[in-house]
Amino acid sequence: MTPAEQLKDSVLALASQAHRDDGLTALRKRALKQLQLLPFPEKRHEAWKYTGLNALTAGQLENAAAPVHQSADVPALGDCVIVIGNGFLPEQLPTLPDGLSALLLSDNEAAEVTPDTLFGWLNSASLSGGLLLKTERNRKVAGIVHVVFCNQSDAPCHASNRLQVELAEGSELTLIEHYLGSGPVLANAMTRILAGANSKLTHYRLQSESADSLHIGNLQIDQQRDSRVDSSQLMRGNVLRRNDVHVRMLESGATLAMRGVFIARDKSHIDNHINVEHVAPHCHSDQVYKGIAGEKGRAVFNGRIHIHPYAKGSDAALSNNNMLLSNEAEIDSKPELEIYNDDVKCAHGTTMGKMDPAQLFYLRSRGIDEGTATRMLGTGFVNETLLAMADEAVRDWAISWLGEAL
Amino acid sequence: MSTDAEIDKLVRREYAAGFTTSVESETLPPGLDEGVIRHISARKGEPEWLLEWRLEAYRKWLTMTPPEWAHIHHPPIDFNEVSYFSAPKSMADRPQSLDEVDPELLRTYEKLGIPLHEQAALAGVAVDAVFDSVSIGTTFRGKLKEAGVIFCSISEAVHEYPDLIKDHLGSVVPQGDNFYAALNSAVFSDGSFVYIPKGVKCPMELSTYFRINEAKTGQFERTLIVADEGSQVSYLEGCTAPMRDENQLHAAVVELVARKDAKIKYSTVQNWYPGDEEGRGGIYNFVTKRGVAYENAHISWTQVETGSAITWKYPSVILRGDNSVGEFYSVALTRGRQQADTGTKMIHLGKNTKSTIISKGISAGRSQNAYRGLVRISPRAEGARNFTQCDSLLIGDQCGAHTFPYIESRNPSATLEHEATTSKVSDDQLFLCRQRGIDTEKAVSMIVNGFCKEVFRELPMEFAVEAGKLLEVSLEGSVG
Repeated sequence: MTPAEQLKDSVLALASQAHRDDGLTALRKRALKQLQLLPFPEKRHEAWKYTGLNALTAGQLENAAAPVHQSADVPALGDCVIVIGNGFLPEQLPTLPDGLSALLLSDNEAAEVTPDTLFGWLNSASLSGGLLLKTERNRKVAGIVHVVFCNQSDAPCHASNRLQVELAEGSELTLIEHYLGSGPVLANAMTRILAGANSKLTHYRLQSESADSLHIGNLQIDQQRDSRVDSSQLMRGNVLRRNDVHVRMLESGATLAMRGVFIARDKSHIDNHINVEHVAPHCHSDQVYKGIAGEKGRAVFNGRIHIHPYAKGSDAALSNNNMLLSNEAEIDSKPELEIYNDDVKCAHGTTMGKMDPAQLFYLRSRGIDEGTATRMLGTGFVNETLLAMADEAVRDWAISWLGEAL
Repeated sequence: MSTDAEIDKLVRREYAAGFTTSVESETLPPGLDEGVIRHISARKGEPEWLLEWRLEAYRKWLTMTPPEWAHIHHPPIDFNEVSYFSAPKSMADRPQSLDEVDPELLRTYEKLGIPLHEQAALAGVAVDAVFDSVSIGTTFRGKLKEAGVIFCSISEAVHEYPDLIKDHLGSVVPQGDNFYAALNSAVFSDGSFVYIPKGVKCPMELSTYFRINEAKTGQFERTLIVADEGSQVSYLEGCTAPMRDENQLHAAVVELVARKDAKIKYSTVQNWYPGDEEGRGGIYNFVTKRGVAYENAHISWTQVETGSAITWKYPSVILRGDNSVGEFYSVALTRGRQQADTGTKMIHLGKNTKSTIISKGISAGRSQNAYRGLVRISPRAEGARNFTQCDSLLIGDQCGAHTFPYIESRNPSATLEHEATTSKVSDDQLFLCRQRGIDTEKAVSMIVNGFCKEVFRELPMEFAVEAGKLLEVSLEGSVG
């Protein structure tokens, strides 16, 4: 039996565990069926070419226990904070701002899980509870909603984190999706966002678990007519971090702005797979991702733009800039275009290089020590993406938090 | 811009090289086993080691499966339906000089516009022509010999220069490199061999024309070019095939070795039969091309791909020596139901190695055109530099253009840039031309020519003219 086959068995064992009947039974059953059909990801699979799952042990495919206490330090970024520990929803939800309601996810709301990934289905199959946020029609939700997924354990375990956000027609929301935690936990995160017609979402996905934890996440965004989504994804490396982001622009006039910063230092690993699908005509997407890898860190970026045959008038751009800081670090980038219509404007660009020695020298000549100079230049490199973030509190926190990693 | 009727007109344009030649051929019955390989080897009177080499490749091939990762679709190929050797019969007792070659064959090449005699002299191009599986004659032998350049068919070279062949055959593309390279290694019939001695600049451009004539045959040629220290050579390759309903297989291997300070320029104009408008027939062009560049060496691939039902081809450079340079310039045009998945690999191993990739894809009709490339910087490749530009032009709303670049860097001092754009023929540019009295079709042809200029500039002059014309004919009627 190969290691992959053994892990697949652990996956199925985890997925087959009995749960009480809580309204998610049908979803779990369906997910288990799908899991049986899928192979365990290996390097020979194109989507996992640069990311091995050697770091994963059978222990990380066993259910996490409910947290005994909430000890995580949650930075004060939002006006309304919901903390979910090891995937278990809190018994009491805080008072929510007007125009927003929070519910338990149930079978009929948990829309089908595409992309068809093993960890996506595993999230469904082992789900103990998911949070569903719904906005009211034509309402602007005041303040920032801060959803914190805190996964902590001293022993290896698996935690399914599930969030579904539904923006009704004409509503507005600012949401922070924040991953915290420590210990050898595998956070298996799945977030689905349904942006209704003419709605507006400002979304932050912050991944700041400690270096010893693992994270495999799926983010799926479906956009309806004239909806606007502005998403910032910030992450620092850990043992294993993999994000599959899948955006579908299903109706015309949708706009997407997506930014990301990933910093892999020491021995950490970050893999971002982004897939933006222009299904309907006249949609606009703009993506900027900045990557830094130092020491023995490894960063992977795969950004795909897919223009469907009837999506005329599509305008899509992707830029990925990377910086290598050491001889043992590695960055692999694969920007892809898949285009089936001639009336489009599409472009992508990728660069890789090091810190400009002339700039470093300039700063050193002004009496700035090397560490500070490196940090300044690194911050300057990612600054474009940070300054584009609308909310000051998040921006300030992000600058200092990412600065620590430089 | 373009309507279905116009696209129809485009795909129905005549394939000018689609005639067949009635030459009596000796063709092996379809099917592949060790017996066929022994037969090919025996027929060519090959030494024992080469037969062993072929059989080793065949055994490796048996364990392999056809690659499935490319963005192409075709029914599975039955490798037992293909005939692995076909030679014009009159070749059985080899002609001693070109004058003895079957005049019918020579007329074929004339129809193709490849003058083996006078025109070759005018153009100053030495030609080796490969008809089905056998090389039928090489021009300008004598003049090349004076300079010390060896240019002959590979089967001749096996007898006359066994050491050179033994040293270099499979040194760049090993037998088991990939499915189609393994198949080629087992059954390759002929091809060209070039050796440029130390410090020699080849006095003329060398050229090979390939033609598949016989039905149900595959063509498996193998080209090996060795440029010794400080030498220079420019090599051209052209291909055509008759119009047939079935798909024919072409699985070639090209190996280039550029020693210290050597320079190899390899240009291809590929115009294999692309199939009819419904995608019936056409050549499956599954080719492995790779070069190794030693210290300060320079390898440049230039390709203009307009033919073949399917093109699967990634001319690559392994930049082994310090300061070596690799270049890839490509124009790929697909129309009708053609599919192309082509690009390059630049493997940077040496210090201060440089590579440039310019790829222009044009898709029309219902075709699919993909660029797939790899740039890999190894940890040792201090100061490596790459620039990649992939542009796609779409004509019609039923075609597809795709880009799949892989960029891997393991050295911080390397600088890599990649950019890709996709657009259609600009309405503003068209309007400007129309306003000046240029009809739309001509205007599109001008715009496309301008789009490809960067690549055409790299082609030797005669080829640049041919490539421009080929593109013009291919685009006929694509825009209204």
